[in-house]
This record gives sequence, C-alpha cells and structure tokens, in this order.
Amino acid sequence: MADEPERQGPPIPRGWQRHPRERMLITPLMAGLGGLLAFFTVVFIVVWLPIHTFDPPPSNDWAPLSNAALKGRNLFASNGCYVCHSGYSRPQDVREALYFLYPKVSQPGDFWGSDQSPNLLGTERTGPDLSQESGWHPPDWQRAHFYDPRYMDPLSLMPDMKSLFSDKQLDELVAFVEERSGKSGLLRYAGTLYGKHVVLVNQGYPPAYRGFQGAHKPIVEADEKSLKPLSSQLEEAPNLSQIDRSYWMSGDPLPVTEQNLLRGKEVFLNRCVGCHGLKGNGKGPGASFLSPPPADFTDPDDACCGGDTGPGDFYYRILRGWPGTAMENFGDRLSVDDIWRVVLFVKTIPNGTLKPNRVPEPRDYIVWQPSKELRAWVATHQRLADNADFDKKMASDPYVKEAMHVFPGLAPGDTMKLNDGKTELSLITAAAGIKALYQNMLDRAWKDAVLRGEKLPNLAQKAIQPGVPGQQ
Amino acid sequence: MGERIAGEPPQRPAGQTADPPAPLTAEARGRERSLFPDGAAKHWLLASIIWLTVVDLFGLVLATEFVTPEAFGGISWLSFSRVRPAHVNGVILAWLTMMYFGALFYMLPRLVGTRGMWSERLGIFCAWAWNLMYLLGIIGLLTGHSQGREYGEFIWPIDIALLVIWSANVVNILATVAIRTIRPIYVSVWFFIASPLWLAVDYAIGNVIWHPGHIWGAPSGALNQSLSDAMLNWWYAHNLFGLWLTPMLLALTYYIVPRVTNTPLYSYTLSLISFWGMAFFYTGVGDHHILQSPTPAWLKTIAEVSSWMLLVPVFAFTINILGTMKGNWDRFFTNLPLRFTMTAFFFYFLVNIQGAFEAIQPFNKLTHFTNFVVAHAHLALLGAFTILGMGVIDYIVAQIYAKPLWSRSLSEWQYWLVTVGFTGFFSVLTLAGFQQGFSWQDGIPEVNVLPQLHAYYIARGIFGAMIVLSGIVQIVNIGMTIFSNTAERRRQETLRVAEAIAPPPVAN
Repeated sequence: MADEPERQGPPIPRGWQRHPRERMLITPLMAGLGGLLAFFTVVFIVVWLPIHTFDPPPSNDWAPLSNAALKGRNLFASNGCYVCHSGYSRPQDVREALYFLYPKVSQPGDFWGSDQSPNLLGTERTGPDLSQESGWHPPDWQRAHFYDPRYMDPLSLMPDMKSLFSDKQLDELVAFVEERSGKSGLLRYAGTLYGKHVVLVNQGYPPAYRGFQGAHKPIVEADEKSLKPLSSQLEEAPNLSQIDRSYWMSGDPLPVTEQNLLRGKEVFLNRCVGCHGLKGNGKGPGASFLSPPPADFTDPDDACCGGDTGPGDFYYRILRGWPGTAMENFGDRLSVDDIWRVVLFVKTIPNGTLKPNRVPEPRDYIVWQPSKELRAWVATHQRLADNADFDKKMASDPYVKEAMHVFPGLAPGDTMKLNDGKTELSLITAAAGIKALYQNMLDRAWKDAVLRGEKLPNLAQKAIQPGVPGQQ
Repeated sequence: MGERIAGEPPQRPAGQTADPPAPLTAEARGRERSLFPDGAAKHWLLASIIWLTVVDLFGLVLATEFVTPEAFGGISWLSFSRVRPAHVNGVILAWLTMMYFGALFYMLPRLVGTRGMWSERLGIFCAWAWNLMYLLGIIGLLTGHSQGREYGEFIWPIDIALLVIWSANVVNILATVAIRTIRPIYVSVWFFIASPLWLAVDYAIGNVIWHPGHIWGAPSGALNQSLSDAMLNWWYAHNLFGLWLTPMLLALTYYIVPRVTNTPLYSYTLSLISFWGMAFFYTGVGDHHILQSPTPAWLKTIAEVSSWMLLVPVFAFTINILGTMKGNWDRFFTNLPLRFTMTAFFFYFLVNIQGAFEAIQPFNKLTHFTNFVVAHAHLALLGAFTILGMGVIDYIVAQIYAKPLWSRSLSEWQYWLVTVGFTGFFSVLTLAGFQQGFSWQDGIPEVNVLPQLHAYYIARGIFGAMIVLSGIVQIVNIGMTIFSNTAERRRQETLRVAEAIAPPPVAN
C-alpha cells in the first residue's frame, strides 16, 4: 500500500463492498418471534400432527396390566430400569434360527392403552430387551435374579436390587415383567406356572419363598410323605414328559476327550454355578430362592443309572430349559457343541472334577446306561411310533400348543399320574389348566383396568385367542 | 437495574497475554467492577464448575459399575439405574446450562452495551434457586423419584420450578436487550434471545407439564398413548441439544473466536444461514432416535432428511469460524481459551457428521442401542460442549477478576487431560459399539457380548478418570485465581527476573 503512488479522486474499491445496512440483519423481534415461528412451524409437523393422527388400534396381542403389574411398571420407570433394557423388539432382533431370544417384532398396537404410559422404549441395550420377557422365567428365578443377578447369570452386569425394593415391591416388579408382553406373554407365563405346578406336585416341594425371603431361608426340601408313585408307572415318567422323546435314549455325539471336558467345565463355571454351586451339588448362592431347588450332580448313581439323567435329557434341558423350574433355555446363548460338552462334563462331576485346578479326564466320565425299567417304559408307553400326527392335527389351539411346549414328551393320547399318585397329566389336562390360568390372569387384569377407569377395547378384542409367536 | 452506558463496551485486558500484566490498581479494579458488576455471571459460572465435577463423578461411578457391578453394592442411591439419569440430567441442565447462563450473563451486557444485566439481583437469585432445585431433583432421582422418561426424569414439581426460574432468566435477557445502547445486535445475541425461548417451550411441551399425574409417582408428565409419548419424548430430548446446547455453543464460539483473535466475524450472511437453518432443521430430527420402532414412517423420513439438512447450518458455521480464524492460528497454540474453543469446535463438526450418518437406516440398524450411541452423545456433550465450557470459564473468570489465571501449566494440564481423556473415551466406546452391533447382527445375544466388552469398559473407566481429574484441576485453578493475587505475584516474578538479568552495577 505504502509503495503505491498517491492518486487523485475517490479510492478504488478493493473487492465487493458491503452495504452498511447488511451488518444489521436481524432485530431482536425477528430473532425472538421469528425464531419461535420457525420452531412452531416444525413443531406442528413433527409433534402435533403425529400425536393427533397416529392412533393405531389395539393389536390382537394387546392385554391390559393388572394393578400389581402396573405398580411394578411404575417402579421399573422410576428406578431407571429402562436405561439398560429397551421396551420393543426391532425387526432385526427377530431371527428364525434362534431359540426364544425375541419371538416377535413389536407392533404399534402392542403399545395401546394408558397403562403403557410413560413409554419405556429405551435407548440402549446393556441388558436384553424385555418387551417379550414374560413367561420365559418363573417368578422364583426373577426374585433370585433381582436379589443378585450374578446368582442366575454369572456374566451379568446388572446391579443387584436387594437394597432398592421391599418384598412387596419386588413381587409387583415381578408381576410387571411377567405380564408385560401382551396375550402371548400371558400364555407363556400360564404355561410356566402350570409347569411349576406339575413339577412341585410331582416332586413334593413347597412353593418358593416370596419377595427376597429366599436370601435368609434354607433351601426348600421335598415332602417325601406326599409322594406315592404308582408302581405301574416309571417314576421318572412325569419328568420325561418335559423332554422331547427323541432325546430320552440318545447318547452324547461328541467323543469324551480332555479338550471337550475342559471346555465343558469352563462353560459350567461361567454359567451354571450360581444355582448348581461351585461343587455342583445344587447349593449355589441362588438356590435358596428356588423351588424346586437346582439339580445336584454329585451323585454317581444318578449319573450312571437315573431314568431321566441320560445325556440327551441333560442336553434337552440345557437347550430348551425346563419349564416350571428355574432352569433356563441356554439354546439362545450356547452353541450346540458347547451344550454337549457341558453334558459330558456334568457326567464327570461325581468324580470330583469341579475341584479347583482339577483337569477333568476321560476316565472321570461316568457312562449312562438306560435302566431296564426305562427301556420297558419306552417300549410300552409314550411310543414314538404313535406320534405321526403329533404337531399337525392340534396345532391350531394355542393352549395345546403351549402345553406341547411345556410337555414336549407327551403325545396326544398319553395320560399318566404324577408321583403324588393322584394328579393326572396329559396334554388335554395341561391345555385346560394353562387356559384356566391364562383366562384368570387376563380377567383379573381386565377387571383392574376397568376399576382404574381406563379406556379399554371392546370385548371382542379380549376374546381373540393369544398367539404363540416364535419358535417353540 | 442495569444502567445504560454510551458507546462501545470498554476494552478489557485479555486473559492470556504474552507480556507480564501490569498490576491493576485498586481504583482501576473498582472502576471495572462498577462498569460490569457481573454478579449473576459469577454465581452461575462458579456453581457450574462444581456441578461439572459432581456429574463427572456420577459418570465415574457408572463406569466403575460397568467393570465391577458390585462395586457399590448395597448403596441403593448409587445403583446404576438411578445414577445414570442423575448423570445425564446433571450434565445437560446443571453443568452445561449453568455454564451457558453464566457466559450469557457475562457476554450479553458487553454485546448490547448495558451496565450489567437488566437485573443482576434477579440473575443471582435464579442461580441460587436453580442450584437448589437441581439438588432436590438429583436427590429425588437417587432415591427413586423419577418420571421415567429419558432426559425428562425430574418429577413434576421440579419441572415447574425449573421452568419458572428459566422464565425469569428469559425476562432478564429480553429486558437487557430492550435497554441496549448498541442498536445492531450481534450474532451471539440472536441466539441469546431465541435459544432460551425455544428451550422453555421445548421443556414445557416435552415434559407434558399439563399432565401432573401422581405428583410424587412415576407416571406424571407423559402422554397417555405410549408411542405418541415416545415420539414426544425423543423430540424433546434431542431438542435439548438442538435448540439449547448447540445454539449456545454457536453463540459462545461466535463471541470467543473474534474476541480473542481480535478479528471481525468472517461473514454475517453465513451467520444468518446457521441461525435459521438451525431453527428449521434441528427442530425436526428427534424421531431419528426411534427409527427401528413401530412409529409412523413419514415421521422417520422427516427426521432422516432433517438430520442431513442440518449439515447446511453446520457447514455455514464451520466456514464462518474457519474464515475468522484464517491468519490467526498462531493464537490456537498460545491462547488457551481459544484452544479449548477450537477443539470443541472440531468435535462439534465431527458430531454433526457422525449424527447425520447415524440417522441413515442401515447404519442406524447396526449402531442403534449400542455403545456407539453413548460415544456419540459424549462427543457432543463432553467433546464439544464441555470442552468449550472449560475454555469459556477460563476466559471469563480471568476477565471478571481482571487478573490472569493462577497457573498456566494447570490450564495446560486441564486441556490435555480432558482432550486425551475424551478422545480415548470416545474411541473405546465407538469400538465397543461396533463390537456389539456386529455381534447382535450375527444373532449373538446381549449377555454373550458382555465379556468381550470388559476391556473396553476398563479403558473407558481410566479415560473417564482423566476427565474427572481435568474438572478438579479447573476447580483448583479457578479457586486459586480468585483467592490469590496473581497479578501481584506475576509482577514480583517479572521484577525478580529483570533483576537477575540486569547488568551488574558498575562500580565507580
């Protein structure tokens, strides 16, 4: 600049000149009112419009919550459970090949009704989605899990809830978890409750402790006097009715090698010790919450000669769970091979392979032999040959479907007595029992919702039968 | 009541100068004080620094519980599910909001030429009331009193109290603008006017304050229809960022960068685009949080398109700031408040790019519900807003007290602790998010992924501890600045140095 010779006249503009008024582009009024105007224009489109136009009717699966479940829902909301557990399963969550993980995609109509407010859709999944949780676990499992989640799943990160809730609040929370998944969840829960009823009667156990009481009580014991097994019936037959019959006699397909056994031990220590205990004796820290209590694997007689302790029986119970007991379906978490390895390992536990630093060896493996009684029972009762029409004829009735899920070992014609000597067990009675439980829970929830003064769909919706979504 | 003063606001000494600062005489300091009392700004800012460490510690509790879930076993109010809402609410409406209001109460009088706010006493009263309500709200959350709607957890009475205090602040701001002596209003002031108004409406609608429900119980403040409630919930939650935290970041950056570099803003036209673009596009993005939910597809489309259109104001802002910084980058290295601001600016740009991608369906399918989203949230709230806030506080405290910060090296420590801590934090959570996303895509259930995340969670805890430490360093530095006579100390040091290097007196 300094080098330039001085010029006469006005200075030459250096580039585009701004008009002075362009510096004053917005007045406070424009920033305030204009800003609000822009804001409300968009609010009209993205808030007012959807709220006033989006009102999907209740889905066929929708069901109201009972009073206890609604109280549990409020506890769930006010204690922030939704920060780790989402409340809807997305299209990509539902997978054909998985056992039970998320049986169905959430539909708009599933969220109908004012007892679903506030929303619990959630934003992060540190734990699993809970919208389809109802019925996969019995209440005693839930109570132990709330007391300390590591009791039921040693890998869990969930905070323990023992200092957060009273016994009564806990039962409300459990009611919510068990009733939140609509009719299909209620049906699943009814199946679990019926399974529990059968198992307790059959094995002579009292009901589980309420609330957190299990933490301070001994493990429940069976009342042997109540058991009068029929002599004409295999004693394990009611237990076998909860296992698909094709597994009753099957052996372990994997070879008994040190590697397989070691992997089995690893998985056992990772997943099973909360209930079955570090010694495998069924006295894990969570055991006192559960009725029936967890299985004891330390008895060599059971391992070699039990009627329902064959490798196939163990495999099936790990894969699909044992409805009515706290045994979960690990099929959604463990590979098939790993489950078979755990089965191999479980058969070595009577020889002390759970001791620390003890490598299980093939010679520890106790070979299971089907007893004469079992062979005879399989040959004469509950024969596979009668089952050609097993799942085709009766698949339309949801209660029978659910009964077949809880008692996969029963053929339509099978009837037997439980070990108390009088209670009858067949698919027909099971379906009737499950239906009664389901109907009872739905009626109670419906009545509660009416008394709460909530808007309800017409009774035709209530009468629609529940679906059985997902792979059963 | 603030009084009008004529003409431009006076030039204040910059916070960090290369020269040893001249000692301010008592009279000079008194004159400064009487010109800008800054009482409200001080109250909001100093309280916010304390809150930063409180909410950071909440975060550290959470990070610890991810590593060892039983770390605080038996203490119900430290249970993860209760601390997490306290952490989130505390970050947004205690730490960041109080920092923003403090900065606003400092900057606004200087920008519009008034002697302090319209009512400094109202501002101070609001600061106390806000702190009290916040304390009550947090105690409520930790004892299980929550509305159960994410980011809107505070129970109804607290919501109402916060809104009243907020409105008093809005009145204070608008009245200050009304009595201004500098007629044209600067870009920052546009946001100072509009943003608190937006948030007041957003908070009132989003918390459904006309639906008190059971006042002490959970189901207050929600719409009856669950999915409508979810749409409203996420519209509200995202606009906490979109209409309050982000515009205020813009406003503060628009102030700090030209002020520290002593350069006029690059373009007013670009500021216009950033202001109106934000108002139109940010308001509609909330539904991108629930793209996989059974809500109307058209609303998801609006949310996705808005999320991408948002890049228009973001780029306008970016170009504007980079244009202003042109030729001034040396100060990035020498001036700490500017370095904080520009680091925050960089993370802000990144979070918007990332957010736009997260709003695309296929990418959303992969990252939804994973730690990737947690990393994204921290990129905005920690990387951008918090780092900006730290710089702004360092800058303003030095200005208000008219003395340099107690220790420059502590400021450096603060900067590097939070920057390295945050970058590591963000990286491990992003990786953990991909780990979760790809595993879930393969059908692996959540619990089976947990053991793989353990290492990430440990790293997150360590990086998180660095962030907590950074906040504590700031408390020490700011506290020592206020309670010690830094200027005099610096002068003595300079004199000693001058004495040492002075040539020895020549003997006659």
